[in-house]
Amino acid sequence: MKSRYLFPMLVVFLVDMMSPVQAAPIDFAHEVVPILKKHCTSCHGGREAKGSFSLNTRELWLESGFVDPKDAKASYVLELVTSSDPEMQMPPKGKPRLSAKEVAILKQWISDDLPWEAGFSFGVVAYEPPLKPRRPALPPAEDCRTHPIDRLIDQYLSQHKIPRPGPIDDATFLRRVHLDLVGLLPSPEELATFLADPCPEKRTLKIRELLADDTAYADHWLSFFNDLLRNDYSGTGFITGGRKQVSGWLYESLLYNKPFDQLTRELIAPPSDASRGFIDGIKWRGNVSAGQTVEIQFAQSLGQAFLGINLKCASCHDSFIDRWTLDESYGLAAIYSERELEIHRCDKPIGKTAQASWLFPEIGTIDASAPREARLQQLAALMTHPENGRFTRTIVNRLWHRLMGRGIVHPLDVMQTKPWNEDLLDYLAVALTDHKYDLKQMLELIATSEAYQSQVEIVEGTESSDYVYRGPRSRRLTAEQFLDGVWQLTGAAPDKFDAPVFRTKVEQGGAPELDLTAQWIWGDSAKETPPSDETIVVRKIIELPSAVKRGGAVLTCDNSHILFINRREVDRGENWSQVRTLPLHTLLKPGKNDITAVVKNGGKGPNPAGFFFEARLELENGEQISLVSDETWEWNPDAPATREGRLGGIKGKWNPVTIVKPVGSWTAAVDAQAKSLLAVAAEGKRPMIRASLLKNTALMKSLGRPMREQIVSMRPSQLTTLEAIDLSNEASLAEAFANGAKRLIEQADGDPKCLTEYLFQFALSRSPTPAESELVGQMLGETPEPAEVEDLLWSVCMLPEFFLIR
Amino acid sequence: MTFEIDPDAPEQIVRRDFLKRLSAAGAAALMSGTPRLLQASEPGLVKHPEATADSCILLWMGGGMAAPDTFDPKRYLPFKKGLKVADMLSTFPAIPTAVDGLQICEGLEGIASVMDRATLIRSAVQPDLGSILHSRHQYHWHTGYVPPQTVAAPHLGAWMARVAGPRNPVMPAFINIGQRLEGVGESEELKAFTTAGFFGSEYGPLNLPYPEEAARSVRPPQGMTGERFVNRNKLYRRLIDQSPQRDLMSDYHQESMLRSMDKAYRLLSSKERDAFDITLEPEEKRQKYDTGRFGRGCLLARRLVESGARFVEVTTEYVPFLHWDTHAEGHTTVDRMHKEIDAPVTQLILDLEERGLLDRTLVIIASEFSRDALMEGQPGSNANDQAREKVDEVAEMKHYGLHRHFTGGTSVVMFGGGMKRGFVYGKTADERPLMAIENPVSIENLHATIMTAMGISPKTGFDIEGRPFYVTKDAKGEAVQELFT
Repeated sequence: MKSRYLFPMLVVFLVDMMSPVQAAPIDFAHEVVPILKKHCTSCHGGREAKGSFSLNTRELWLESGFVDPKDAKASYVLELVTSSDPEMQMPPKGKPRLSAKEVAILKQWISDDLPWEAGFSFGVVAYEPPLKPRRPALPPAEDCRTHPIDRLIDQYLSQHKIPRPGPIDDATFLRRVHLDLVGLLPSPEELATFLADPCPEKRTLKIRELLADDTAYADHWLSFFNDLLRNDYSGTGFITGGRKQVSGWLYESLLYNKPFDQLTRELIAPPSDASRGFIDGIKWRGNVSAGQTVEIQFAQSLGQAFLGINLKCASCHDSFIDRWTLDESYGLAAIYSERELEIHRCDKPIGKTAQASWLFPEIGTIDASAPREARLQQLAALMTHPENGRFTRTIVNRLWHRLMGRGIVHPLDVMQTKPWNEDLLDYLAVALTDHKYDLKQMLELIATSEAYQSQVEIVEGTESSDYVYRGPRSRRLTAEQFLDGVWQLTGAAPDKFDAPVFRTKVEQGGAPELDLTAQWIWGDSAKETPPSDETIVVRKIIELPSAVKRGGAVLTCDNSHILFINRREVDRGENWSQVRTLPLHTLLKPGKNDITAVVKNGGKGPNPAGFFFEARLELENGEQISLVSDETWEWNPDAPATREGRLGGIKGKWNPVTIVKPVGSWTAAVDAQAKSLLAVAAEGKRPMIRASLLKNTALMKSLGRPMREQIVSMRPSQLTTLEAIDLSNEASLAEAFANGAKRLIEQADGDPKCLTEYLFQFALSRSPTPAESELVGQMLGETPEPAEVEDLLWSVCMLPEFFLIR
Repeated sequence: MTFEIDPDAPEQIVRRDFLKRLSAAGAAALMSGTPRLLQASEPGLVKHPEATADSCILLWMGGGMAAPDTFDPKRYLPFKKGLKVADMLSTFPAIPTAVDGLQICEGLEGIASVMDRATLIRSAVQPDLGSILHSRHQYHWHTGYVPPQTVAAPHLGAWMARVAGPRNPVMPAFINIGQRLEGVGESEELKAFTTAGFFGSEYGPLNLPYPEEAARSVRPPQGMTGERFVNRNKLYRRLIDQSPQRDLMSDYHQESMLRSMDKAYRLLSSKERDAFDITLEPEEKRQKYDTGRFGRGCLLARRLVESGARFVEVTTEYVPFLHWDTHAEGHTTVDRMHKEIDAPVTQLILDLEERGLLDRTLVIIASEFSRDALMEGQPGSNANDQAREKVDEVAEMKHYGLHRHFTGGTSVVMFGGGMKRGFVYGKTADERPLMAIENPVSIENLHATIMTAMGISPKTGFDIEGRPFYVTKDAKGEAVQELFT
């Protein structure tokens, strides 16, 4: 076994540059398949083989003797399609003939030796997964292993004559469950307490305790959902207002454990702008080809994220790899579309308009004549329909993958594939419905099984083709888990984050509240009663001595507002009775800041109007600042144009605002919500800032955090060389290790044994072995130097053992 | 032509495994998200062409280099108050070059003297993408695909890294010099194509925004002595040997990790890392290059190619409204850009030649599009007029220059690497619109030409999520054969 751990030498192989690869002298998928589908497959494809000729596979073509690649023009099939003999011609009499161009393509295809798409067949797809939910009968428990997952898996293992993987010890369990559920390492103190705890239920209790840590849970699962919804705090499209985050809404949904069906409905048919970003996709400035419009993106994102269906092929032509068609992709896109959607095949219009429809009409249909909002709501209802087992199977499979290292259906986005255990998948899917789509309960269900709490499968060499379950698989730490872990060990977490979210829950009752000092403001018309539909601008220019560390605002406006900070749109409110919150740490900068709101009165005839804004900020220099709407604000009657989310120029003259005496319902709304919301916005509680809350960095990118320009549901499992270079010398990481070393020495009072013990406990959830102690002891000597500790810290964090969730 | 790759690199394992699985499985495996080289066992083979270049240096004129003010001079009218913008074609006079009858613009005297080593394409064209966003055109130019895309398209450097592999196993195959990706406008859009995309970060760029600090990227962390770095690695290896967990981990995780860590260690302690240190260059030589960051980048590129780099991009840097992106002050700015690029480009060509490397190094000067004084996009485009000041007549110097984006015809210069010498290909009209009127070269065909020179078939394709994805869009790119010697 030893040789496995020697560093492989870099063997330099000489590879002939002439090694062949497949070419596309003719594009089979885009040029040949359409012709065959149009003219031939209804009689000679799939189950049909008239005249004993099936064209399903390339082999069948060659066996047929109808084609002669060596002398293409002598091919019988060309004779058939060009013949004018009504008895001989193909397609037969009465059907449209092939055009000269189509014949030419076929001919070239034959003379190119019939290039084919690997694995492709015109034959019917062998496996069609069931759509509806199914409640499998649970087999009897073996050896008192009564957990439903274990009953199913034990039966599977018995049937496959595979030994049950052994159980894991408490320390391994604690590290695994910590990283899996909240993404953090357990501290040495927590580990000691857990190991000493005699309670037989302690593992289950620990699982519940972790899931109940709302902020840690939301911090961790935010990355999973950001990947799935391609949501991020920076990326393409934002620059021209062509993309919106759903971060604030998403974080809140996780913080309050919003049921997954409701979460999905809010994404598909957004009740407010806060969750719009997902369906609106990414729009770059300029013209976009038919396969990349926001409507098509909508279909693709929806199919992939919620149904594990890849519609990327089928949004250009009928898919060659599964059963989805161009019409179905466009049907889904048309639900979202506000314009007539002309169907394009490979970027060329085919003279057909898409009809709003969805992929599983057996559950229900979309009323194509309904307005868009209604269509989206219908789709949201169909997606989360209790009979849509595809929806629940897709999400439970994703969660299983996260906790067990491999999907029951794998890869995750090809839900059209046969699962390795249908009963298990179906059971988990109905369990999710039984638990009212509560994701935490699903995680608890998986984590409490003996299957989860068993040893990982060790895969020798490369994986073989037929997967058989032998136990959970170890997983690589994600970029975020790795950095969070390093920050836990070193105390090097940043003190500011980029995600526009509030990390604290508004507690029911007994919530901390802050007194409000803001006043309601409006323009001159408020000296009387403002007319309905009056639109004006109010603003405040402030000078900040340093950047904002944390803080946020509460705001509302009777009747509606659009808020711009530094001329960028940052918030919209349409319903004045709902006080809005806005994180400000990412929006304000040191120096001059322009806070401008375009505010509009509603109603029919004159009625009261007012704008309310109150912010609490803590600056990086330590200063606490209150920023409120008051008489120092100015107003302007000239409401400007906005373009790409930016405020246009404002011409008119600025005058001091009028303070408006609030009407009773305003005060009631603000008192009921704003005080506690503001307390949240000011963020009393300050858990460690997590990597998931930061914009993507070069380091995180090299550690595998995706750019989120596309949906990525599985991250790379292997370490690359560029990544290893970063791990070896990246400046911020090196600094973290250097600072961490000093901290470790302090913590251990300079005692090398104590330090080593603590480090191993924290990083690996175990004590060093005697051999390790000796090795490290020799290196550190009696009084460890910071540089030595730094190198030790680095080395431990680079161990595969640290990098893996085992 | 041969090249070196590490046969045990992780992706090779993945691929081998993948092919194995694929033969058994079919559709499901097709979509696992791991790119798969379209199979050699399939019919319809073509062979990779024989490479005429081992390395490629792309000198990127980010922001839209105006062809009429650089490599394709047209009627010149000097600055004069009252000059009609509609009459303005070139703001620099033409000068002779080392090639009889070939003229380029004043200010590029050095490059003019080495044009006898160059092929000049004057008819490169870009599609109309409507309203101009530089980074979107740059994305198209660098990947061959127009964003957004359903899968992350790889940069052409990543294609070379993936298909041709590193020339020297310790030297990263794809190195990107001079472009800051943080703190500049459109940086997110720039990042979107400065990536290996679906190939994964193994083939991605080593980004070196500041050439003078490049050495730091391949050195042990700051403040760590070489001796300590060696000792740290020793400790690490001993800890791995001692780990009680070492037999309890899957090969595919552990081995790829250890192999990558080892490769990184080798680079960081190798002699090749000196190539990244431009201060090791003799002072006199350094000064010949040092017109600024771009010039220093050219020097770095030369050193890297000498040490076995496969693909290096050096950019004058794209920053909205700066450098080549002239929305105002065009003439003044281009005058400065001439000064920035002329000496280092010339010196790069001469140095490569002197070292006997020019024959096998393809050096390309290119930009996302050209510029024009009047026309935005190309005839029929719906692009917005983005000139800072919309005047009909030049009233002051800031109005003098080519302040609109033009996509109808632009220049690309190629030196060495198997291209003809002293050769001009294609032509643009002499009066507005300055469209390519002879031998237009699309991005697909330009890429096909570059890839062919590098020994990569333009029809090379990978299967990603069940969809074929080719190095040139839909494998349609055709190399421009007339350009090759």
